[in-house]
Amino acid sequence: MSQATHKDCLLVAEGIRKSFRIGDREIEILHGANLELRRSERLCLMGASGAGKSTFLHVLGLLEPPTEGRILLNGKSTWDLPMRERAALRNRHIGFVFQAYHLLPDLTALENIILPARIAGAYGTLPFVKREAEQEAAEILERFGLKDRLKHKPNQLSGGERQRVSIARALFLKPEIVIADEPTGNLDTGTGERVLELLFHEQQSRGASLLLVTHDERLAERCDRVLMMEDGQIQADSSVVIPH
Amino acid sequence: MFVGYISWCYLLRRRINSIGVMGITVGVGALIMILSIMTGFLEESRDTVRGSLADVIIEPADIPTFDGKRLPKSADPLIAAVLKEDGVLAASPRLSWGGLLIQPGGGGFDSIRHLKNAQGNQFVFAHIVGVDVQSEYTTTNLREWLTNESDARVAVENVDDPFARPEGYAGDEPWAWIVVGEQLAEYRGLHQGSVINLITVVPDPRNGEARENNRKFLVAGTFRSKDNEVDLSRIYVDRWELSDFLSDTHEYTQVLLKLDDYEKRRDTVDATLTASLKEQGLIVSDRVRSYEVRTWEDFRGSLLGAIENERVLMGIMLALIVLVAAFTVFAILMMMVTEKRRDIGILTALGATPTSIRSIFFMIGMWNALLGCLFGAIIGVLGALNIDGIERWLSATFEVQIFNRDVYMFSHIPAVVTPLTVISIVSGALLATAIFSFFPAWRASRLHPIDALRAE
Ligand SMILES: Nc1ncnc2c1ncn2[C@@H]1O[C@H](COP(=O)(O)OP(=O)(O)OP(=O)(O)O)[C@@H](O)[C@H]1O
Ligand SMILES: [Mg+2]
Repeated sequence: MSQATHKDCLLVAEGIRKSFRIGDREIEILHGANLELRRSERLCLMGASGAGKSTFLHVLGLLEPPTEGRILLNGKSTWDLPMRERAALRNRHIGFVFQAYHLLPDLTALENIILPARIAGAYGTLPFVKREAEQEAAEILERFGLKDRLKHKPNQLSGGERQRVSIARALFLKPEIVIADEPTGNLDTGTGERVLELLFHEQQSRGASLLLVTHDERLAERCDRVLMMEDGQIQADSSVVIPH
Repeated sequence: MFVGYISWCYLLRRRINSIGVMGITVGVGALIMILSIMTGFLEESRDTVRGSLADVIIEPADIPTFDGKRLPKSADPLIAAVLKEDGVLAASPRLSWGGLLIQPGGGGFDSIRHLKNAQGNQFVFAHIVGVDVQSEYTTTNLREWLTNESDARVAVENVDDPFARPEGYAGDEPWAWIVVGEQLAEYRGLHQGSVINLITVVPDPRNGEARENNRKFLVAGTFRSKDNEVDLSRIYVDRWELSDFLSDTHEYTQVLLKLDDYEKRRDTVDATLTASLKEQGLIVSDRVRSYEVRTWEDFRGSLLGAIENERVLMGIMLALIVLVAAFTVFAILMMMVTEKRRDIGILTALGATPTSIRSIFFMIGMWNALLGCLFGAIIGVLGALNIDGIERWLSATFEVQIFNRDVYMFSHIPAVVTPLTVISIVSGALLATAIFSFFPAWRASRLHPIDALRAE
């Protein structure tokens, strides 16, 4: 891998190893996984259950430290940054969408969506003005067809609605990278498709990169590249460019 | 900023927090209320006790003596000397003597030698105090006591001369007039013009043998000091009448002083006065801290000390309530940390650091404490200030007497709210909660929250 290619890449993972301690045993889940995520690209990661996809995403999303290897964000190494700076990067540059939605149950849809902006306000990376943030969040929700759900708590929303709120939250600060771990895994096919349509559309219009994990071949077909993960490693020959 | 926001949301939207807030409210409220009432009792008792004495009491140990070192019989040299001392505003002589009061009545008697069917309860210990009224008024509260508002009062006719024969009195007995305590008058059924017999023992000037004297007196009126003991036993009489009753053996036994600034001089006044008076030969003490010169606190310090001790113990016991409340907050936080593990993971994914997670849970604890202290302080202060009305209302509503206004001789429940008390209780509660919140908060930041983000 040359430095030149690294420069074009938004996010680069080099030789990521990750092991977990269970009791006094170390179990290695990732055995030197590599990945390059290019700007505005839609990258799909597939693999059998237990292959380590979620673990890899957590490492890539700066949530968990790799046991070995480097993560470069915009060419800069991340895991040797102080905790606070890394958290600020995560807040500002990476949006997460989870299979289980992961909205804060005590906050309304609107409050959940503007939460990243509040955190950014605390870091001082973006000024937080409540009225503006709420206005903006309301507009997004309206676009997502949730105009009447602003003040609903997550448990008053359907799965599809929750996932749309979660996508709105992931996109709220206009991050460069959206990481989605089986975003349609808990939804029926029809709802899943509509939600994903929304995600694809927003990602494209904002020019963000999308890193998508899915078991659904038809979703994979709509991505720019598909990588296969097998036994804690990205298969070298797995990268498939799908022409649109 | 978002730490404050999230912790506030959790506080308001998790009902369990109301238990923590309530616990602290009760603890802080009770502490403020009870301590304010105890302080009230202490101050009222101090005032009462102090009022029945003077700032300083000089009680020469040796008048008269039979060994030749006779001190002046008259109080005048001592008074003249102390008035020259620094900080002494006024001095008054007192002739204080013990005696028995015997009430004429059922048993019937003319003198101690002719008791017919006397009953034990007809004898009352009497503390006979001979005063120069105008002088006494400058050093003690006697004037207020004679004019205190009270249902049971038998007013003297002329406060400026309480021992004067009342204008309308029809009898023509030659006996002297006295003023007795209101309690004594009430129990003995004394009223203006009642006759009492006082018996006392005096030394025979020729050989020092005990000799008993007895004489009849007429009741001119009553006083009320609020000090039960004083109101039951003290009898005021003109000093020269008493001296005469004591066969002229004594003219005074004490000199009372009023100081310009008691609080400033309380610790040094006895030593300075003792040294100075000893040099002038007016007292004979051979000790530096003489028992001959005492402050009112030396006289009755143990009573006040007991109330003070009670206050401290009460404070310690009630502080336990605050401690338990703080522990409740601890339990609530521990529960919330477990319950909110997934939320912690979500917040981390959105960019929160372990430090901010710790602050969130710490602040939830502090919100509990702040709200509890706020409500508690309001309830405590309002409760203490209105305790009298509250007690009356409770007594009336439930028809039980909670506070007996006769027993303490307090016409109301006293309460003194000092800012210092409120501030120290509130900061104590805040500190206790802070200490108890620290561990759950620390635990929250040490969780491995990412595991909670995996799909179930
Ligand atoms: N904190 C942990 N401690 C121990 N083992 C872990 C931990 N996290 C993940 N694992 C293990 O790592 C392996 C990979 O898990 P991971 O969730 O990454 O798989 P996945 O590819 O996302 O699977 P799926 O498609 O089912 O979501 C699993 O065998 C899992 O048991
Ligand atoms: Mg997974």
